[in-house]
Amino acid sequence: MLMTHADIAPARFSAVLDAAEAAARAIPPAFPLDATVAVNPFLGQTGEDLAATAARLARVAGVRVTQTGADYVAAIAQGTISADDLAEALAASPSPLKPANVTALREVAETLGAGPDPRALPTVADLAAEATGIDWPALIDKCIGLWAAGHFDRGQALWSPAPGAEAFAAWRAWAMHDLTPEIAGLDEFCAHVACAPDTTERAILSAAETLGLTDAAAPTALHRLAMSLGGWAQHARWLLWQAELRGDTDRTLVDLIAIRMIWDEALLVQTPAIAAQWAETVAAHAAPLAPSPDEVALAILQDAADRGHQRRLAAALEGNAAPEVTRPFLQAAFCIDVRSEVFRRALESIDPAIATIGFAGFFGLPLAHHAHGSDTLEARLPVLLYPAVHTSSAGDPARDQASRIAARTARAWGRFRQAAVSSFAFVEAMGPVYAVKLVKSALGLASKPKAEPAPEVIGGMSAEAKADTGAAVLKAMSLTKGHGAIVLLLGHGGNVTNNPHESAYHCGACGGYTGEVSARLLAILLNDPETRAGLAARGVEVAEDTLFVAGLHDTTTDAITLYEDSLPPARSGDLTRVRTWLAQAAKLARAERAVRLPGARGDAIAARALNWAEIRPEWGLAGCAAFIAAPRSATTGRDLGGRAFLHSYDWQADEGFGTLELIITAPVVVASWISLQYYGSSVAPEMFGGGNKLIHNVVGGIGVIEGNGGTLRAGLPWQAVHDGDRLMHEPLRLSVMIEAPREEMLRVLEKHPQVRALFDNGWLHLFALKDGKVDARYVPGRGFAEAGPQSMAA
Amino acid sequence: MPIALTMLAPLALLPVILLAIVRPGQRPGALPRLSETAALAALALALGGLVQTAMGAATGAALPAGPFTLALRADLVSASVATLVGFIGWIVMRYSRTYLDGEAREGAFHGLMLATLMAVLVFVQAGTLPTMILAAIAVGLTLKRLLLFYPDRPEAQRAATKFAVVWHIGDAMLVCAAALLFARFGTLDVAALPVALAAEGLGLAGTLAVAAIVIAAALKTAAFPLHGWLTEVMEAPTPVSALLHAGIINAGGVLLITLAPLVQTSPGAMAALVLIGGLTALFGAAVMLTQSAIKTALAWSTISQMGFMLLQCGLGLWTLALLHIVAHSLYKAHAFLSSGGAVAEVASIRRPGPVAAPSVAAVLKSFALALAIFAAIAAIFTAAFGPKSPQALALGAILIFGVAYLVAQGLADRAPVALTKRTVAAALAAAVGYFSFQSIAQAIWGALLPTAPAPTDLEWAMLVIAVASFGLVAFAQALFPLWAHHPATAGLRVHLANGLYLNALLDRALGGFRTATRTAGES
Repeated sequence: MLMTHADIAPARFSAVLDAAEAAARAIPPAFPLDATVAVNPFLGQTGEDLAATAARLARVAGVRVTQTGADYVAAIAQGTISADDLAEALAASPSPLKPANVTALREVAETLGAGPDPRALPTVADLAAEATGIDWPALIDKCIGLWAAGHFDRGQALWSPAPGAEAFAAWRAWAMHDLTPEIAGLDEFCAHVACAPDTTERAILSAAETLGLTDAAAPTALHRLAMSLGGWAQHARWLLWQAELRGDTDRTLVDLIAIRMIWDEALLVQTPAIAAQWAETVAAHAAPLAPSPDEVALAILQDAADRGHQRRLAAALEGNAAPEVTRPFLQAAFCIDVRSEVFRRALESIDPAIATIGFAGFFGLPLAHHAHGSDTLEARLPVLLYPAVHTSSAGDPARDQASRIAARTARAWGRFRQAAVSSFAFVEAMGPVYAVKLVKSALGLASKPKAEPAPEVIGGMSAEAKADTGAAVLKAMSLTKGHGAIVLLLGHGGNVTNNPHESAYHCGACGGYTGEVSARLLAILLNDPETRAGLAARGVEVAEDTLFVAGLHDTTTDAITLYEDSLPPARSGDLTRVRTWLAQAAKLARAERAVRLPGARGDAIAARALNWAEIRPEWGLAGCAAFIAAPRSATTGRDLGGRAFLHSYDWQADEGFGTLELIITAPVVVASWISLQYYGSSVAPEMFGGGNKLIHNVVGGIGVIEGNGGTLRAGLPWQAVHDGDRLMHEPLRLSVMIEAPREEMLRVLEKHPQVRALFDNGWLHLFALKDGKVDARYVPGRGFAEAGPQSMAA
Repeated sequence: MPIALTMLAPLALLPVILLAIVRPGQRPGALPRLSETAALAALALALGGLVQTAMGAATGAALPAGPFTLALRADLVSASVATLVGFIGWIVMRYSRTYLDGEAREGAFHGLMLATLMAVLVFVQAGTLPTMILAAIAVGLTLKRLLLFYPDRPEAQRAATKFAVVWHIGDAMLVCAAALLFARFGTLDVAALPVALAAEGLGLAGTLAVAAIVIAAALKTAAFPLHGWLTEVMEAPTPVSALLHAGIINAGGVLLITLAPLVQTSPGAMAALVLIGGLTALFGAAVMLTQSAIKTALAWSTISQMGFMLLQCGLGLWTLALLHIVAHSLYKAHAFLSSGGAVAEVASIRRPGPVAAPSVAAVLKSFALALAIFAAIAAIFTAAFGPKSPQALALGAILIFGVAYLVAQGLADRAPVALTKRTVAAALAAAVGYFSFQSIAQAIWGALLPTAPAPTDLEWAMLVIAVASFGLVAFAQALFPLWAHHPATAGLRVHLANGLYLNALLDRALGGFRTATRTAGES
């Protein structure tokens, strides 16, 4: 519960408060940019299908949730959507409003052209703007934006508001002093705010009364207001997400809705001329939501696009390659991230003695980590989980202290630069030195940061705990026997310069940090004799000569850093061999990636990473479209174009199917968030995209705004999904393909209704693989249906 | 003597500007590379000119004779500023080459940036007022088009309109000044004007002309109260902000420094500069403290730094004003271009734990310590380079207040000794840097610019007011953690965060709150 209102509100009002809470939950969380992860922008709509969501989001935000009609027409013309795809998608749609036949479906696409261009129902501010000629929505964005920037600031401004205040109380104190609305023409707004109730619930009820919101109208009317707050609402939703993860709650987002209601209340009181129009709007909000025939048709066309991709992917999966019988010299475990697919393919092509594995990049270790010289607690794990292991890279305490002093001096220097009066001294004393800095930055001559000391578990671990953890991780990775002489455990991270969205290029499974700490910790743990001694008793056989080595895959340059955390010197020859292979593979991977990067050559990619003006250093996970959990033999040698999450999974070794359940409920969900974030940022950039990088203005250390003000922009920047000519992310919903018994997968879905909703409502597609080939498609309500040769042939 | 190479620098940009007219669209072939090359060539020419002028081996050039003579001059001041502009120009064009890749109007952007750069290069070495005015108008026209690079954004339209109004009022002021000066002295040549002035005195027309020049400078440096245009121009891509804050914004200062002999003759103008400049400096700095968006904070910082520069002009410290222009440009260009790192920077601020807040005693101690550092270093430099004027000492005092803030952070009760040592060392480095750069500036430009006049009663009053108000603000700043979150100051913070509403009032006057045609953003 967000609020306890039973004792304040009469029963007839509670529907409005419930609607406010529901509106809050309809908003997706946006993680602050210092450690951001992809979030499904339709998180609040997963209980509905795409057509219903289209209707809802059209009403509350005026956004399109599919591609345009013209996009589908073009895809049909190019053959990426075939006639069969259209027919199957049409047949699969349960909607009574669907077009009669494929011809009618194509006609809808052609008629819609560059549309549809849905219009949200107007807010009071929209109506008042039309009536008075004053741009109230822009003013509200500006005023709320200025307040919110300060309220959520984490250290950009030296003079931030008093910490710890609740949003609603803080805003009231602000708005009672802020004269801007009155200067713009909203008379007596300060007094209006002062007279408004001083608690969120009462303010919502009072404003709802003035606005004439009926119980039936409140849900979408309040959702409309929450959406108008853009990224601020999403940031507030993140606060609630974090609070609930710790078993707490947070009401910031409901506060924001109350704030927005007070604005509309004041505007309605001042502009009686719009009363009739507003009453009509309230009535429209009260009308039940139902998708239009166009929205149904678009959802079917999107399904057809998904099917086109599935058809091509199925054709690429031709069945298992012959399984490796000899023991590999090198086993390299990568994150399931789609960027790994390119590198794994390149690495395996170099020598038959190399095998690769895919696993979530946090390697199953739920870390809360302190970096060297840092008090900040970094949650290095998927955001669905709560950390359980506390680690630190402090290293030598004296060095840690020295680093802190250095950081504090730098901070004092930064404040000297920023503060009133001292900023003048700073410029006169240091300004000319910036000529050197400018040249260095312009030529990309940055010095590389030094690697941190090896991480360790705070308080240490017992031999028992070490063996337990080691065995559990290896089992989850399907790595219980036949280990190579060297097992590489590779985390990954992006390598970008001067980019506010840097953490979006890091490892999502590590909470938006790089995978370095997780990989190093695991390698140290698995090389520990105490761990090794206990593994056999736990059903894991690791050869005596197997050495675990941690590394970090730089996804921008494909360089791999290996961490020699107390590795035996006797093995340096082996490591040299591994390094040579990695360098060869990196070259192949760079050549492949350079083709997609505008104006790049393979040998220029490292320079791009250091270029402070580079807005497209790499493509991140753009293009991601499939999730395959199967033994590597199902995908070895297949060019999946860096578009597939590859999770190594051997169902025959999965006793009790605990690992299957874990895969479907954790990595699959995380992958769906990533794929849907790219989808949302591509089809609805104005609502779910991060805006234009060229005019980004970092605010409060948490996010970006465009230009000089307005709402926070969450999601991926336009330049992260578009190369200037075309979308680099084909908006598709993720196809999940798992090699496992169908009934076991159904059992997992049965047990986890929220995950099942993702499949049942078409946010994800599920396929069963058998012997490396697509075997059956999950059909909502009917279980698995055989994938016939016709529908799956190329 | 040959003409200075600096004068060819604007011409080096011309071919690429013409090319951009032909290739205004997306990915215009070699244009982005050529525009960087052209900017680099302009920088090389400016550097060559700087060397020539330093060796006294270059002259200016003029077109037709008469009141409307268009001329470029060659002296160390103009050559230095042109080199600065050329350097910033090369940096931003190199940045734009990558940054603008794939934009629909990529070619046009490069053309407009180069055209702006060309106009600024002409402005800073203008030998006559008509040249200066034409260059200023050209800067206004091209910059407005850059601000409208995303023409569909209503915010961009508002910002562009506001900029154009303020900028061109400044141009109109310059035209008035030119007319008055011509009426009085019969020449508009910036080198001939001081000569005529020495012969004839300022007179009423001259005094009015200087007033108009001061107003123009105040408008072009975004001084209080018409500063609002500068805080909104981040509606254009980042390189535009960098060029604006590091190049264009200097126009006001360059104008004053170029006409320093005239301006200094008018005590009223000097007093006005001290007042406007000092007020703007403190006002801008106070507002900056409350801004949570990096580019917005930087814009307010520019307003305050330019105010400080006007204050230096008003005190007759022309060399220091010029040094401030150079130092600020380099710093601010870097700050804007690297503003994408703000997320990482804020995260790193939080890492070493909470900031230790100094007590009143610690702050007093820090002021004393800073004074000691300052006195020691000032004594050394005075012994080496000769005595300082009262104005220079007053400015030095303002520096102490700044350094004291650095020291105060190290003296906070919970700060470890190692931190105290480091902040004191940093303070020492800052003081040495300050005096070194000052001495260098004096050595280069000192002979060319008027020396600060012996202070009159009015100037003494100004000095005391300036030092006292900066001292007070610095003291309050050092004690900031003790009062900033007190409920009594909550209202003050709201008003400051809104820039005391001056921009909102300007918006209202210019119709900035009206609805504009809204169209979809980027897709």
